[in-house]
Amino acid sequence: MSKKTFRKIEPYIWILPSILLMAVFIIVPIGSVFRMSLSKVTKAGLIKGFNGLGNFIKVMGGSSFGLVLKNTIVWTIAVVVISTVLGFMLALVLNNEFKGRKVARAIVVFPWATTLVIQASVWNFIINTDYGTLNTLLLEMGLISAPINWTPTPAIYFTWEIACGIFVTIPFVTFCVLSGLQSIDATYYEAATVDGANYWQKLFRLTLPLVRPSLTVSTVLNIIYVFNSFPIIWTMTKGDPANHTDTLVTYLYKLAFYNGKQGEAAAVSVIGFVILLACASVYMVYTLRKGDDT
Amino acid sequence: MNGTAKKPLSPQKLILRVLLYLVVIDVCVLTLYPYFAMFCTALKSRSEIFSANGTILPVTALWSNFIDIWSRAPMARYFLNSLIIAGGSTIIAMLCGIPAAYALARMRFKGQTAFLGFVIVSQMFAPVVLLIGIYKVMMALGLTDSLLGLVLINAAFNQAFTIWLLRGTFMSISAEMEQAATIDGCSRVQAMLRVLLPVAAPGIVTTLIFIFINAWNEYTVALCLISTDTTKPLTVGINIFNGYNMIEWQYLFAASIFAILPVVILFMCIEKNLVSGLTSGGVKG
Repeated sequence: MSKKTFRKIEPYIWILPSILLMAVFIIVPIGSVFRMSLSKVTKAGLIKGFNGLGNFIKVMGGSSFGLVLKNTIVWTIAVVVISTVLGFMLALVLNNEFKGRKVARAIVVFPWATTLVIQASVWNFIINTDYGTLNTLLLEMGLISAPINWTPTPAIYFTWEIACGIFVTIPFVTFCVLSGLQSIDATYYEAATVDGANYWQKLFRLTLPLVRPSLTVSTVLNIIYVFNSFPIIWTMTKGDPANHTDTLVTYLYKLAFYNGKQGEAAAVSVIGFVILLACASVYMVYTLRKGDDT
Repeated sequence: MNGTAKKPLSPQKLILRVLLYLVVIDVCVLTLYPYFAMFCTALKSRSEIFSANGTILPVTALWSNFIDIWSRAPMARYFLNSLIIAGGSTIIAMLCGIPAAYALARMRFKGQTAFLGFVIVSQMFAPVVLLIGIYKVMMALGLTDSLLGLVLINAAFNQAFTIWLLRGTFMSISAEMEQAATIDGCSRVQAMLRVLLPVAAPGIVTTLIFIFINAWNEYTVALCLISTDTTKPLTVGINIFNGYNMIEWQYLFAASIFAILPVVILFMCIEKNLVSGLTSGGVKG
């Protein structure tokens, strides 16, 4: 092989291992999910012929699908929006100089580093009516005289799951924004102060536009993570009772591995897939454009 | 507030300072509360947890819970499995990711943008959406219920992060030194190994710790693929204490503390570098 042809194919040799790894474990599963979504699939997972859009029609016509879709949207939007706002505010607070700032930053990292299953188990324990520590704490402080049932309805239980989701998502937003804040040149603020800008003007006219790139990255990544988040809901309620706390991912898990309806589960995957691909393409356009600028 | 702030603060500033500390303390207390509850519960006896007039702090601290879990469940095995999965997938993700990131940062080739685009898009798809497909692939390869299967899956789904972070790191380092080395007769591989990688070490360490943590904390795929108890990682295995009929909270939380402690420590080491890397696409030293 001549040196010139080697030069030409050399880059592909460098990326080959990575491509192989992703091809086998990401691209093949994607293909397989698509194929199954359009096929008749037996309980054992064998493909028995083409089924057109049958699986999609069956899934979307299911009595609980609307509820599950609504839950997924509520879950994603509530967790992402609230944790972005709170995380942004927390970053502004932590960006001040104060004693113990390093300790505070280290503590705020905790929920991010903890695996979601464990986080969700603790929340489940805290809000338990009979022996949960929230009731114990309030009883000890004398704020209540009898244990409160914190999860009387599925909707309220779902709200607790959202709260747990927010709790574990805040640190990521905070640290993304913090990294953005710390790269801002202090002279901007000095100039703004000289021009007589007050705190709010500086916040909305200066800080917000300057951290917008960090905020965009964290928001887009969070939409994807939260949309796909399985462990919190699985650990706390398993989507019960009767799909009232299910999101698309817990719903498809049950369809595939509990009810043996793999074709329908694959259809749910594809639906989730399409929703995410829309988000992903927005993110990709944004990132690649940003890459060209620098 | 470094030595120069000796003169008394104006009342307005003082109030702001106090408010700041109040907010920070509240946030810290709230953040630590679940861990505090976990720790206190891990020290209680079963009867104390379920007693009608419970207290927050354990009446008698049962430190033996932390020892009992190792005999009540194959905890050592779970721990080892988590180590194998996290360590193995980190190694494979790096072995595949470093050359790919190097090619993206240092070479020009057809399909470069497409490859980078795919890397970014693949980051968007969590394994849970693809579980059925993953299960099929694993069946075909005979890797269901095996640690190797989990190692490969975790490595694959962390490729995007690995390549993204390392590409940024490599791009932030000037290529001049490597070019000088190649002129001196080094091959490209040698130049990368001897010149680039040592300079990029801080970014590489951050990246590999992050993959390690991701794989250590992974739950969904392991839950789906692993059925043998002694092949489970910690995240799935500790739920042995979370049975259908009764939950052994004290053991569940004692085991949980062992599962999260290494990761929290690792995370605190890399937190600063990681975030700047995620948002700018490069981990600097």
